[in-house]
Amino acid sequence: MSLSPSSGIGRYYKHSAKIIRFVRLGCTNRPFYHVVVMERRKNQHQPVIEQVGTYDPMPNQKNERLVSFNFERIRYWLGRGAHLSTPTAELLGIAGFLPIHPRTYMTAWRNRQKVAEDGTIEAKDPVEA
Amino acid sequence: MFLRQIYNYANLRASFHALQRAASSTGNTGTASATLLYNRDPQPRFTDPETQKLLQSMTQLQLEKIFQKTTVPDNSVDYKLMTMDMLEDEFRKSIERAKNRLQMPPVVQMKKDERRIISNDSALSGFSDTKYVITDITYGLRQTERKVVVRQTDGTLEHAPMEITKRMHQLYFPLTGRSIRTPRMFADEHLQRCLDEQKYLFILNRMVVQFDPFEPEFHTISSRVYQHINETKQFDILRSTRHFGPMTFFFAWHRCIDDLLYDMVRRDYLQNAAELIALLYKLHDMEPNYKNILKQIDEIKPKEDLALKELEKALKRASSDVKEDIQSAIGKTQVDFELDDLCLPFIEDYISKHALKKVQLELATQTIKEINAEKRQLFEGISKAHGVA
Repeated sequence: MSLSPSSGIGRYYKHSAKIIRFVRLGCTNRPFYHVVVMERRKNQHQPVIEQVGTYDPMPNQKNERLVSFNFERIRYWLGRGAHLSTPTAELLGIAGFLPIHPRTYMTAWRNRQKVAEDGTIEAKDPVEA
Repeated sequence: MFLRQIYNYANLRASFHALQRAASSTGNTGTASATLLYNRDPQPRFTDPETQKLLQSMTQLQLEKIFQKTTVPDNSVDYKLMTMDMLEDEFRKSIERAKNRLQMPPVVQMKKDERRIISNDSALSGFSDTKYVITDITYGLRQTERKVVVRQTDGTLEHAPMEITKRMHQLYFPLTGRSIRTPRMFADEHLQRCLDEQKYLFILNRMVVQFDPFEPEFHTISSRVYQHINETKQFDILRSTRHFGPMTFFFAWHRCIDDLLYDMVRRDYLQNAAELIALLYKLHDMEPNYKNILKQIDEIKPKEDLALKELEKALKRASSDVKEDIQSAIGKTQVDFELDDLCLPFIEDYISKHALKKVQLELATQTIKEINAEKRQLFEGISKAHGVA
């Protein structure tokens, strides 16, 4: 059986908890995240079961943050009872796939408050891994 | 923070350039307004089987031109030992390949970019300092089915505009030959230089890869190229390429076929000239009698096997038939003369009724008439001398 292009080499245990989470790739001072499905108990740099997306937290030249999701596989894994890490849940909320995560509302509210206080825009990264 | 400032600066610069471009485009409205565009959806007329047949016939299948030497990395040649049947088969295949290469890029309506909002959440406003562009990378989806959405900083979730969608498709599923940024050759001043150097095929081939047929750039650039060709009258550069059909369709749609018609008549492609006029009549519902002449042409024209003909030519067999010798000496057959007789009145009728460049066209038809009469006389004389009926 041929593997799908995103399949990792992580072993799949039927009854262990799976989680959809970020893996920090990229290098020093230049974060880049893969959204992967892996066993919950494992360290992020261990082999993953499948990659289901990417997230580039640094804005590009046109001032946009790029996110990509393999929604079909995410739906599948959520149906299999996979857990979600908070940053992933936030991103999926921003993407309109899930309801907006409470933490996103919190950051939005705090940012607005800050702007009202000193009039400067010093927003933090909304999705912190 | 510092990085972000740089990005903001870059943004400012980009918007400044956009402004400049807008200013320059409004500055020379003289050329901009002259760019002819399709005023309604041309697709149903273009994909109509009759139109396609006319366009294909006008394009002509010149094998030397289709398979001409190009600058490709591998120019190696295979030598094989073959029987006659295998050789014939191979020729048929190469004719099919040639037809594939002449597949025309579609002519469709320009797509309008409209804002499609999915949801509006004011409680989210200010959640981030940049917008988020989210792409669906599910496998096996078609480009048209792939969703790209944008979450704006004010919390609005909307479908991405065409520009972003295209960029994201190219980023996650790259197409060979297409680049993320628009190549500089398509900028106004560089394009003009390419046009002045008459590199029409180069522009059109690159344009077909870089832009989709429904994009505004596709329409403006192709229209500019076609109009430039119409001015320089270098129609022969595009003949027997996939761009000849759309170009002809463009001229017929905008009622400026006279130069092309003149070129066809001068080169003695009278059948094509009649087809071009028929296409014009068809697109504008002008004169319904064009169907008769197309039917007659179909009836006269023998269904010849192009592959076999090429094979014979390649083998250079000593032709046993005197008839063929005469034909090859004069370059025309009996059927060709009959076709000319059929097409010429039709063309003259068009010239007298609708043509804008009457004098020029009349002169050309007169010349070609005389030449053909001479050829015909010669043909008949030689035939008689050889005792061929």
